[in-house]
Amino acid sequence: MMTSKPKRSYRSTLGLRLWDFTGTAFVNLFVSILLLVYLSPLSYMLVTSVKLHSQLQDGPTAPLWPAESLTYVYDNKERNIYEVPIDGGMRQLALIKGGRTSSDFIDPANPEAGLIHWEGSWRALSKAYVLNVTLNNFVGLWNSIDYLTIIGHTLLVVLISGVGVVCSSIAVAYGMSRFPVPGGRFLFLLIIATIMIPDSILIVPSFVIFTRVLGWFGSYLPMIVPPLFGSAVYIFLLRQKFKSIPRDLDEAAMIDGAGPLQILVLIILPQSIPVVATVALLHFFNTWNELRVASLYLGIRPDLQTMAFTAQSAGGGFGATSELLHTSTVFLLLVPVIVLLISQRFFMQDMIITSSEK
Amino acid sequence: MSFHRILAWGRKPAMAKQSLALTGLLFMSPWILGFILLKLTPILAALAFSFTDFYMLDPYKTQFVGLKNYIDIFRDPAAGASLFGSIGNFLFMVPFQMVVALALAVIASSARLKNKLLLRTLFFLPSIIPAVAIFAIINGLTDQRSGWINLLILEPLNLPSSNLGGLFPVVLALWSIGPTFIIMLSAIQSIPTEIIEAARVDGAGPILRLFKIVLPISSPAIFFSLVINMTNAFGGVVLLDRGMPFSQSLSPMEAYISQQMFSSGRLGYASALAWIMLLMVLTIIIVVFRTARYWVYFPREEDHDDI
Repeated sequence: MMTSKPKRSYRSTLGLRLWDFTGTAFVNLFVSILLLVYLSPLSYMLVTSVKLHSQLQDGPTAPLWPAESLTYVYDNKERNIYEVPIDGGMRQLALIKGGRTSSDFIDPANPEAGLIHWEGSWRALSKAYVLNVTLNNFVGLWNSIDYLTIIGHTLLVVLISGVGVVCSSIAVAYGMSRFPVPGGRFLFLLIIATIMIPDSILIVPSFVIFTRVLGWFGSYLPMIVPPLFGSAVYIFLLRQKFKSIPRDLDEAAMIDGAGPLQILVLIILPQSIPVVATVALLHFFNTWNELRVASLYLGIRPDLQTMAFTAQSAGGGFGATSELLHTSTVFLLLVPVIVLLISQRFFMQDMIITSSEK
Repeated sequence: MSFHRILAWGRKPAMAKQSLALTGLLFMSPWILGFILLKLTPILAALAFSFTDFYMLDPYKTQFVGLKNYIDIFRDPAAGASLFGSIGNFLFMVPFQMVVALALAVIASSARLKNKLLLRTLFFLPSIIPAVAIFAIINGLTDQRSGWINLLILEPLNLPSSNLGGLFPVVLALWSIGPTFIIMLSAIQSIPTEIIEAARVDGAGPILRLFKIVLPISSPAIFFSLVINMTNAFGGVVLLDRGMPFSQSLSPMEAYISQQMFSSGRLGYASALAWIMLLMVLTIIIVVFRTARYWVYFPREEDHDDI
């Protein structure tokens, strides 16, 4: 939209095409590079998840790519192989006897040649590595954690709270967009304002009420019940869409004797499917990653854990950089990414945030 | 024409209007009920807690202490630091995210781009990455000894390796622009081409068209994004939640409240802190909504109940 098409009348056709082509190539190249840089940190997660534990323990001397340090068995003992600068070149030699000022190596390719003496501290040498992409982290984690049950639990919470939040948000948005409710403008501003209320103020009393009064400690109810009352942002998005639908159709249906509920189901909703789907998807992403409520109320019930909670505890928690943490987050990320890619045709496609309502 | 005109046929108009209002209220009742139970009650309860010495481990000894908690806040340097930290975070995050998302949306709306749908999805993707993963990734990238940024960028350039923990908020801000980006992109793409064409015929260049047409027409979307980003900056959750625990919140005020609540168990003090934060956020909301009339574009229309 922002790039200008050249003025066709004054330029030669060839020059015009060339100009057009260069511009298009430049814009596409620029955006592609931008995207690559933007997504590049993700490669860290993927690469680390296929690394061996021993490589991470080697610290900064280990290569960045997934690799295994080489060893050689000599005298029934496993010896590490190092990159040794010898005779003006680099040779991969197995360390037999390490010393402060000199060390003895043996050539794994030619062990009969005997010990090779080398002057220098072996600690300054770096280990020899060979590319090794392992899927053991995934297999091990899948076997040690009952992912199917956890995914089942998470989907159950998503489904129940999702149906609730979508239905009630639709109802509220419909009530706001189609009925002359007294103080409607005030209620609308109130909804917008509640979006901005910080969670911190709600968490203290909610925690006291949920645990002391309602006894919801160690249950899914704190994750399921609040969405049943609708969510302010979803109501806002749905209302914007509903207001953009001309009223002629519902008035015609009204004359034919349709009630308000019938008009909602038969006329408004069929025209709002992308927005309803967007709301449902947003709720899915949110509940899937939800950690605040889950860690607060489900901490004492490991058998009820949801996906995000499992990923956190499987890898050693926040701040850890183990290969298992990355593996578990790959598991956690897999489902939302697939859902996002499948739903990209309609996800956030028909969201109307303009003030020009018909 | 609307419901009440139709219903008014053959009936007393007042009655029809009343029953319509009742139906509307009935549809809105879930949210009204939820507002009272889940927002208003906790907010008022927090106000009540804030005047007591409510201690998590010993709730039956709770006593009314008056304004002591609020006075303590002014004497507590950590509380002041977290408050200013939150404001600083807010002042950095919000403009940064808005400008980056808007610039990206302007570029991505170019008619020359191929595969727009996939690009849009991929730029959105990091916004659904859970907080656990982001912490692990950024730790791995910025670690002083074995971090990728040090090994891949700083070392080849012979720059000293340094602690890059300060990059964390920047990466997190950049990776959270997804919803803002898509909202702005949709707004820009929904501008009728005739308007842009007309401006071009009149001799307006790309920059002039951006500032005089594209931005003003999409200002309602910008306003909505601003509200979203402001809330996120204060640790709230809007549109997308990546599961950021309170203790790791980028808003130091929120982290401090959760620390007082869960580690120290001082619910009364935590509530007083939360109320200070609420007052601060409310002030900002009111200021932002007040300024909206000067820069958010509303076409003239019959009913004025939009943002």
